[in-house]
This record gives sequence, structure tokens and C-alpha cells, in this order.
Amino acid sequence: MTDQLGALTTIFTEFYYWITVVLMFLIHVGFCMYEVGASRYKHHQHTLMKNTMLIPLVTVTWFLFGWWIYWAFPTGPGLAPSIMNESAALITDESAFSAKWYVPNSDLMAVNLGDHISGVFWAAFLLFSWTAASIVSGAVIERITTFAFGILAIAIGSVFWTIDAAWGWHFDGWMLKILGYHDAYASGVIHAIAGGFALGVLAVLGPRIGKFSSSGEPRNIGPRNPWLVTVGLFLIYTGFWGFYAACNIPIFDLGPEYGMEGVTYWTATNIYVTPTTLSGITMNFLMSLSGGLLAGYVIAKGDPFWTYSSGLAGIICASAGNDLYHPIQSMIIAMIGVVIAYKMHYWVERKFKIDDAVGAVAVHGYAGFAGLVICGFVLNGYPSSGYSVGAMWDGTTYAAINPLGMFIGAIIMFFVLGMIPGWIIAKVLHGMGKLRIPREVELAGLDYEIMEAAKDDEKSVASSSS
Amino acid sequence: MATVTDWIKHLTTDVDGSAVGTQVQGAIYPGVGSEGILVLIAFVIWIGWHVISARQESEKLSKLARRRPGSNAWKSNVTDG
Repeated sequence: MTDQLGALTTIFTEFYYWITVVLMFLIHVGFCMYEVGASRYKHHQHTLMKNTMLIPLVTVTWFLFGWWIYWAFPTGPGLAPSIMNESAALITDESAFSAKWYVPNSDLMAVNLGDHISGVFWAAFLLFSWTAASIVSGAVIERITTFAFGILAIAIGSVFWTIDAAWGWHFDGWMLKILGYHDAYASGVIHAIAGGFALGVLAVLGPRIGKFSSSGEPRNIGPRNPWLVTVGLFLIYTGFWGFYAACNIPIFDLGPEYGMEGVTYWTATNIYVTPTTLSGITMNFLMSLSGGLLAGYVIAKGDPFWTYSSGLAGIICASAGNDLYHPIQSMIIAMIGVVIAYKMHYWVERKFKIDDAVGAVAVHGYAGFAGLVICGFVLNGYPSSGYSVGAMWDGTTYAAINPLGMFIGAIIMFFVLGMIPGWIIAKVLHGMGKLRIPREVELAGLDYEIMEAAKDDEKSVASSSS
Repeated sequence: MATVTDWIKHLTTDVDGSAVGTQVQGAIYPGVGSEGILVLIAFVIWIGWHVISARQESEKLSKLARRRPGSNAWKSNVTDG
């Protein structure tokens, strides 16, 4: 970097994404607290370790192939030609944003003085991956093996969500071009897919022992430590700020990018390179959080677990269009999403005997799905991409945002890339006898031997005279 | 192994070492060119971890299942703190 302004822009961008990564780390801390608080005493340590170990598993596989998938798959392949090379094949050629540069043995995947951005961008996406896997983690507590969860975490965190990001988030994604898909803060690309994936797994995994009576009536297995659950959700809210910021490009000159001759226009943009402001999305974040909390408190009659979860569900439901909504629109959309998520949770639980231990399918899956559909109506007619308004790369056009395209997009996220793969992989693991822990262990508690050893240690210390 | 032994030279010479005075940009980690081997090692570590940890978990779960502790037995293991 030889010119000071260019260097400042680059290093500001590098630092901006780095801060988002640190903030997003709190999402994982929050998820761990939340899950441990929701689990029963005899399963606490196993619950914590299961969610913790997804960090290295998803990180290593994200390095080895997850990041490559994001850059290789925007065209489908075969569904829409790339605006970079006009081919519908995997993008692995010499294009500027080709997956060729993001294979694990590329010299850009390391400390490289010629590239200050790829690493922090890789990391920001990785933290999204952890979130996707962690959403699934909460739903399956107290009865899944760590081995099976590890495989499922890699599948959602390093394969399926990154395919959906390539399709519906990447500037060259086929869903933008054909469907007019718009999902600025990931109602679908993170939440609907992870909720759907969790539902697919739960359908095979089955409920915890005792969750349903012999007549099929669901029993409440409430959180054992409500304080830990609520503080965990507070931390998830906190990390969500980083998530929102990470979905933006902090500083961008749209003039040349849009082909506006002689025009310079610096702004923040969303991931689709259409303008927004960090200021505006901050208002929307807070108003959708508030809408979620208000609706959750009423519909759950003041239950803290659901009220806190509803704050999250509210943000998730409004996220698809929070780059453009008015704050009051955000709040109302959040309230609608919470009602749908809450009602759907209990309907699915009763009807299909699904034991979603933390309400993850509802908060992330149903609220995310609803958010996409609502966005299609409220933002109907807006350009889905910055590359549909200019002439930077000639040729391909993008569909405008529309209700039908967003509904199809929601189906793709929740069912096609979420629920169906989750169900298939869980079926395979079940067939191998590796999905669920033995019944005796579930009754005794996954921490039984750890607790027994701790008790023995305590006895020997207590009986010591010196 | 060292990719950089002289920062001034590194920052002002192109990759081929022919154009002194040109600002270069590039990888500075040790062993540039050996990335393929590193990736292979990472794959072995990743898969190996699954194999070893899955075996450990299976043994642990089978052992506990054979003991069949009652559903309330864990309560006698709660430590006083």
C-alpha cells in the first residue's frame, strides 16, 4: 500500500471486520451458557463440551473446504451464469473472486502482505458458521452423541450454510438473479437453514426420555438455570451487533461500481452492494428486538425463557430487510414473527412429537422463514443487487425483490438446504448406531462418571488428616 | 525455511528477485511452497481426531450403559462444593 488514503480505507476495513469477529465470539459464549442453563444438572458438562468442540471442527473444515464452497458455488452450478466469467460452471477460473484463490493451499489463506481483507472476511463468515452449528446444538441436547453432533455441525457449518450463502448472499448468487432474493442480515441464510436442519435431525433423533406421556401429551422440561439461560441470551443479543456489522461493507465508493461516470459516492452497503447506513440498521436492530420482546412477553404470559428467545426471534424475523425497513416496520414484523414462531413451536411439538429442547427451530427456523416471506412483500420492487443498477459487469440482470421469489427462497433455505440434508445425515448416523446415546446413559446422565470421580476426589480430600 | 531474512529487501523486491525497488506484496510465512503438505497434515489431524474421539466416546458410553445406574443415582454424586 503506497497511498495513505487507500491504506486507511483498507486497514479500517480490516479492523472493522476484526471487531465484528470479536463481538460475534460472544454469540458462541451466549449459546454455551444458554444450553447449559437449559440442560439438566446430570448433563451439564457434556452439553458444554458438545457445543465447545464445534468451534475447532467447523473452523478446521471451514479452512479446508467451507470457504472454497462459498466462492465456487454462486452459479448453482448450472443455474445462472456468473457476471464475472459468464459461465454457469463452478467459479474456479482466474476471475478476481474465484474460489481458486481460496483453496486451503493458496498463499492468500495465510499472512500475506498483499491481502489485508481475506483473512478477516474468512473469519467473519466462520463465526456465522459457528452460529449455524450452534443453533442445531441447542435443539438436540441431552441425547445426541458428540461424534454425531460433530458430523452434523460440520455439515451445516461448513457445507450447507455456505452453499446457501453462495446462492443467496454472494454478489454473483443465482438466487439474486433468478428469484430476486434479498436477505441482508440472514433471516434465511443462517437462521431458516439452521432451524430447518435442526428439525430434520430432531425428526430422526427423537425426544428426550419422558418428554411425552404415554398418551402423547408433551411435558415441559424447563431450564434448570434460568439465570444462565437469560444471561446467555443477553450475550447472544450482544454478539448479534457484530453479526449485523459483519453483514455490511463498511466503506464503498458506489460511483464507479455502479458505472456512474464522474460520480463519487462513499457509503456503507449491505452484502449485495446496495447502500444502507450503520446508523439506520442500528435503529432497526433495536426496534425489532423491542418488538420481539413485547410480543414474546404477552404471548408467553411473562415466561422469561420465551420472552428472551422472542427478542432474538424478533430480530431474526426482521433481519432480511433491516437494511431498508423503517424502524416501526421492523418492530411490527418482529412481533408477527414471534407470534408465528411461538404458535408453530407448540403445534409441531404436539402434532409431530418433536422435542426441540431450546426452541431453536421456532426462534431461528420459523421466524427466519416468516421474515423472508414478509420481506418479499414489504420490499417488493427494490433491486436485489447493486449489480442490477449499473454497468460494472455487463450482461446479466438481476430480478427485483418480489413475494414469490422470496417464498421460494424461504423453501430453499428451510427445506432444501436445511431440513432434508439434516434428516438424511441423521438417518445415516442412526443407521450406523452412532446418533443417540444409550438409554441407560440418558437416564443416568452423561456426566455420571465425571460427577462420581469428583465425589471420590472430594471424599479423599475430606478424609485426609494432613 | 525462512521466507524473509531481510525485510528491506523483501519489501522492495519483486517475487522473482529481479526488480529491486518495486514494492512487493506476498506471503511471509515460513516454508512458502509447502502449503500442500500442510493441508495434507491438517486433513490427517481432522479425520484422526474423529476416529480417536469416537472410539473413546463409544467405550465410555458402553461402560456406563453396562453399569445401569438409576435415573436418580447421580444425586449421590453431587459434590458439596
